[in-house]
Amino acid sequence: MRREIPIAITLIVGLTMLLSNFVDVPLGSEYSLKSLASELGGWVIIISAFAVGLASVNLVRIHSNHIRRRSSNWIYSVLLLVFLVGWTVMGILEFHNPESEALRTFSQNMFNSILSSLGAAMFALVALYLASAANRAFRVRNLDAAILLGATLIMMLGRAPVGALIWDKFPVMADWMLSVPNNVGQRAIMIGAAIGAFATSLRILLGIERGHLGSE
Amino acid sequence: MTFIVGTRFLLVFSLITGAIIFWRMQAVRTGKHTPQIRHINGLDAIEEAIGRATEMGRPVLFSPGIAGVTDQSAPQTMAAMEILGYTTELIAKYSTELVVSIRTPDLFPIAQEVTRQRFLASGKPEMFKETTVQFFSSDQFAYAAACMGFMKREQVAANIMMGAFWAESLLMAEAGAQAGAIQVAGTANLHQIPFFVAACDYTLIGEELFAGGAYLSQDKVKIGSIAGQDWIKVICLAMLLIGSLTATFNSDFWQHLLTK
Repeated sequence: MRREIPIAITLIVGLTMLLSNFVDVPLGSEYSLKSLASELGGWVIIISAFAVGLASVNLVRIHSNHIRRRSSNWIYSVLLLVFLVGWTVMGILEFHNPESEALRTFSQNMFNSILSSLGAAMFALVALYLASAANRAFRVRNLDAAILLGATLIMMLGRAPVGALIWDKFPVMADWMLSVPNNVGQRAIMIGAAIGAFATSLRILLGIERGHLGSE
Repeated sequence: MTFIVGTRFLLVFSLITGAIIFWRMQAVRTGKHTPQIRHINGLDAIEEAIGRATEMGRPVLFSPGIAGVTDQSAPQTMAAMEILGYTTELIAKYSTELVVSIRTPDLFPIAQEVTRQRFLASGKPEMFKETTVQFFSSDQFAYAAACMGFMKREQVAANIMMGAFWAESLLMAEAGAQAGAIQVAGTANLHQIPFFVAACDYTLIGEELFAGGAYLSQDKVKIGSIAGQDWIKVICLAMLLIGSLTATFNSDFWQHLLTK
């Protein structure tokens, strides 16, 4: 029963959500399939809220242990817990004092000056890592790598203004590579992945795929 | 009962797709068909990666992507859970350390259950620790930073990334490469595949990720459903051909049918 009940719930909820995208069936005078699906969506939010609690407890316990054992870099765990508690307290205070301008400004400044800036800095690292990944990937070790390097050179010369100055056909070749072989490959992957996602979902709904329940 | 406008074709196609997959699974169940699945190097490499981690005495980091279990990328997360189960069994077999990094809180209890049950089934329940599944952050880049920091500090020997990834894919893959980890990645998010191909040792492309559960378990019924997918691809190819022909002859019949 430990396995059958979750599978039955998955099947019923999954089919309800799936069918609500295609048809609307009246269920009595007040409800319909669509409203039922919407109600289930509300349940997801409630369950997710509990999951946030569980996950936060895990975070706090692991970092409290780091601090207690004075593991290496334990000071970062202190910082994490200070910000976790501080941000939570600030959110509660703001919720209970909605008219407080000072709290709102402080909260917005914390978000814009710390969280957004750190996020932007992390995203900017992608440009740096792009170069280091390209440096490794474009070493001509075999025929595949040579083709990859050739395609990249044409694409870069086709997109950079200097490419057109060297040979005016570079932009044309780059456009063709993007719109024909690249597009064909991407669509093939997309169709295969979409069918794969559908088949995986079906196997989960039918209880054939049970890895997420901890069994094969 | 009222049909939602513009979804009728999708409904019929979904029913046909489901019926074909079910038909192929039934054919395998009744012994009428014995499908074979080709080797997927990325999945075979997981054992090699864990073996290397064991030899080096360093941990294995498993990242199941940053998608949840209720959005449209959920099948990727579920496919990642299948691969996590297999990875946990290997971790138990080799007695090495596993850390699963989590971004979405609703995936946290699922990942805990998967690893706990697989350690139990492998006869090593003591290997499941509080630190085995760790919630890092629900913020995308904070999660990426936490994974990168973990890889650098712990010098992970193997980094396995399976599931839905976005802009953090290259950050994490590069951090793994710099830590000297053997890296196996898989995603169905088209725009992240080139990053994984460039930065990782093995990459599962698109549907290979979804075939993971069937491939690793070698369950004939699951492999039957993969065979069903091949039939649907043939139908998709026929539809593409019809679409191309009708567009060539300036007919909008096919376009109208698809949007019915």
